Amino acid sequence: MLIASLYIKLTYMLKYFFLLSLFVSTFGFSQNSAFKAGEKLTFTASYNMSGVLTELAQVNMETSEIKTSKATLLRLKTTATTYSKWDNFFKIRDLYESYVSPTTVRPYLYKRDIYEGGYTKFVQYKYSHSKGTVASLIRKKKKGGGTYDQNNTLKISSNTKDIVSTIYYLRTLDLNSFSPGKTITMTVLFDNKPTEIVVKYVNKETVNTKIGSKACHKLAISIKNSNILKGTNDNLLWLTADENKIPVYAKFKVAVGNGELKIKSATGLKN
Amino acid sequence: MRKLFIVLGIIASILAIVLSVLPVSNLAYFPAIAALVFGFIAFYLSNKNKLSIKTIQLVFLLSVIALSITIYKSAFLTTEVGNTDELEIRQQESVEDAKQELENLDLDFDDLDVDINEEDLELGDLDEIEME
Repeated sequence: MLIASLYIKLTYMLKYFFLLSLFVSTFGFSQNSAFKAGEKLTFTASYNMSGVLTELAQVNMETSEIKTSKATLLRLKTTATTYSKWDNFFKIRDLYESYVSPTTVRPYLYKRDIYEGGYTKFVQYKYSHSKGTVASLIRKKKKGGGTYDQNNTLKISSNTKDIVSTIYYLRTLDLNSFSPGKTITMTVLFDNKPTEIVVKYVNKETVNTKIGSKACHKLAISIKNSNILKGTNDNLLWLTADENKIPVYAKFKVAVGNGELKIKSATGLKN
Repeated sequence: MRKLFIVLGIIASILAIVLSVLPVSNLAYFPAIAALVFGFIAFYLSNKNKLSIKTIQLVFLLSVIALSITIYKSAFLTTEVGNTDELEIRQQESVEDAKQELENLDLDFDDLDVDINEEDLELGDLDEIEME
């Protein structure tokens, strides 16, 4: 029984792990001085129970340049891959992409293509900021084989973003001007639902990471009307307190223990 | 009392064995140590009352096996990412598909007009947008 429940919790956690680094904007325009095309961040996602770490997956966040006939966009790509020891139990091969404006990190196209323990789903959002709408496409597997599409048009506010662009957008904020306790609310479009996320600036802290000891901005994240994240000040994100504002460490409280995301390597940084 | 500790010891040691062979082998430390503690208590009580210690030896044996597997796994097995070929292919297809989608999209780069700077112009073909 205990093992079964532990297994269920772990698989549940694995599933949500990836979504647990959300946060976005209500702010107007900001200049992106934090990242450029060619940046590659690698993280290790693990489960921490009373100090005993179990490594679950590797998360990669990469940026690259995409040229169209009209403009140049930044492709923000995030992948989550379980370690080989997990592949027989609960294999995850997730791909999240967002195509954004290189300066303002405003998204134009979002794609989510996930494989989680046999479950697959494809989601695509095409933003039309002038109309304030998003054309959403959800593709799921049919039981008998083949796929079926669901098309929808959703209304969005001018600051609505997707998960990936939200994470990157947070890095463009001028966190040095934030005082402890300051909160910002952001809207993230996920599963066709606009979700409000509250980010609170906690304080500055020094964190030891694989890429050295870093002074960091500590942020507390919570989701309005959701119980995915437990506790109030227990879901935290540390961004380096330099120009790059790299997310180096994230901690999420789950039912039993903590989920952690730790940086492993960072290359192609802007500053 | 002695029986209770023996039962707890057996349950904890079996749990430790099961966890140790799963990918969550690190978590096996908790039940394995608990099994050893229960085992020692039961051993002490058995000695005091001069009763059999055969089952307690089983508890010790199982916990030691579980601990050995766990320590071996954490010391010698490296965690590495599994096969990602299929994911790489999906990524490539996705970019190609995205390029098509973006060509068809109405990119209202109003925001770029606001804070356009030399660096951005160097980055790409934004001249056209500025012309618009």
